Amino acid sequence: MSRRTVLVVLILVAASIGVEATNVGAQFGIPRIPGIPGLGSRSEPEQNPMEMFQAFSDMDEPQEVEVGRSVAAAVGARYKLLRDAALTKYVAMVGNGVAAASDRPDLRYYFAVLDTPEPEALAAPGGFVFISKGALDLMRDEAMLAGVLGHEIGHVALKHHNATIKAQRTKALAMFGANIGLSFVPGPAGYFTPVMSLVADGIAEGVLKGHSRGEEMESDKVGFQYASRAGYDPAGLKEFLAELQAKKSDAGVAKFFSTHPGIDDRLQEQTKMQQARTGSGGKREAERFAKALRK
Amino acid sequence: MKARIVIVTAVALGVAAVAVAQTGTKWVDRTKADVRAGKASFYDVVDTVLKGEQVQVLKTEEKWLSVKTPRGKSGWLFEQALSANAVAPGGDSKFLKGAGADASTSATAASTGAKGIYAQDYAKKKGYDYGVVTWIESNQPTAPDIEAFALAGAGK
Repeated sequence: MSRRTVLVVLILVAASIGVEATNVGAQFGIPRIPGIPGLGSRSEPEQNPMEMFQAFSDMDEPQEVEVGRSVAAAVGARYKLLRDAALTKYVAMVGNGVAAASDRPDLRYYFAVLDTPEPEALAAPGGFVFISKGALDLMRDEAMLAGVLGHEIGHVALKHHNATIKAQRTKALAMFGANIGLSFVPGPAGYFTPVMSLVADGIAEGVLKGHSRGEEMESDKVGFQYASRAGYDPAGLKEFLAELQAKKSDAGVAKFFSTHPGIDDRLQEQTKMQQARTGSGGKREAERFAKALRK
Repeated sequence: MKARIVIVTAVALGVAAVAVAQTGTKWVDRTKADVRAGKASFYDVVDTVLKGEQVQVLKTEEKWLSVKTPRGKSGWLFEQALSANAVAPGGDSKFLKGAGADASTSATAASTGAKGIYAQDYAKKKGYDYGVVTWIESNQPTAPDIEAFALAGAGK
């Protein structure tokens, strides 16, 4: 068995049993391997292949934001960005109010509007939140917008992308082991670069395909809470979902349902939360919303 | 009477203990954390603290801590960025350094993280227009905009 094979087997074993990557190299006495492209032969002797895996065993916030930027670029390639500064800032002002009431209020959030008539709302890691013009056109007031943004902020705050990051990291390890399909030539971030590329690919695909039913329900729950804490009537999210359901035969709306499953259950849960809520009402801001949307 | 004195003393000690716990020294427990001018992420960054650095906690409001950094800057940090126990320095972040010395503690280095250096590389290889991300990041409202927006509106 070659040293490279030994190294790969050890790394895969470490990953599969969930060992913290920190100190794994030292723990197993993994040596640096000079002479193999991408494994120590380049001019940054302080780099070690283990750093690549350490980075994704516990991705820190700067790394998450960088992956988020990559995913945002992918979203921008799928949908056209609506470069309307006034509307973008309006959405961002509502969104920042909701984000400040979230479970992750210290992350910087960025909001954007997608120029498509299809109703769509997406969130990338690192706080990038997108809503389509088609979704805005289905809303009647700011409370509905706050509810939908609260749901998307929930995906970020609850770190729903972590499962994809973990899966992509394991895939990177496997590809590394098989020495196929992925160049481990270091980029601007050394070995972080090729793995980040793979992670960004996976998350972009996941974001555009939509989250699981369970994650959607979780985000609904916290989205309701965030909108309420921000002073809005948290019924807004349910009203938006009901609006979509009423138009489910429309082609664009049908696509939304393919990426946002379980709408009936979600509506039922929102109704229960509304009934269990202590207190009532909250801001609706219909006039301000209509002005911002130029309705 | 005796029992009442004991209870009052216990309550007073408890309050004092909480006050002590909420002030004093804490350690940064993240690769880096942005110290902001206000209690939300949209406020300007006044300093950046790195893993293992000590900050002096001046007061606590909700889950935000008013702190003084090792460089004498005052601002707000979210509680989850700090530990009550000593944290070993995180060492150099190769990820941030690779982006151009972004592991520094300068205010400009703060909220931008790796500045999109790696994401730009990714977008270029994929054939994506990174200008989309640049446009989004440069068309967000300022903190005064958001504060004024929160105060305005019909409130109904």
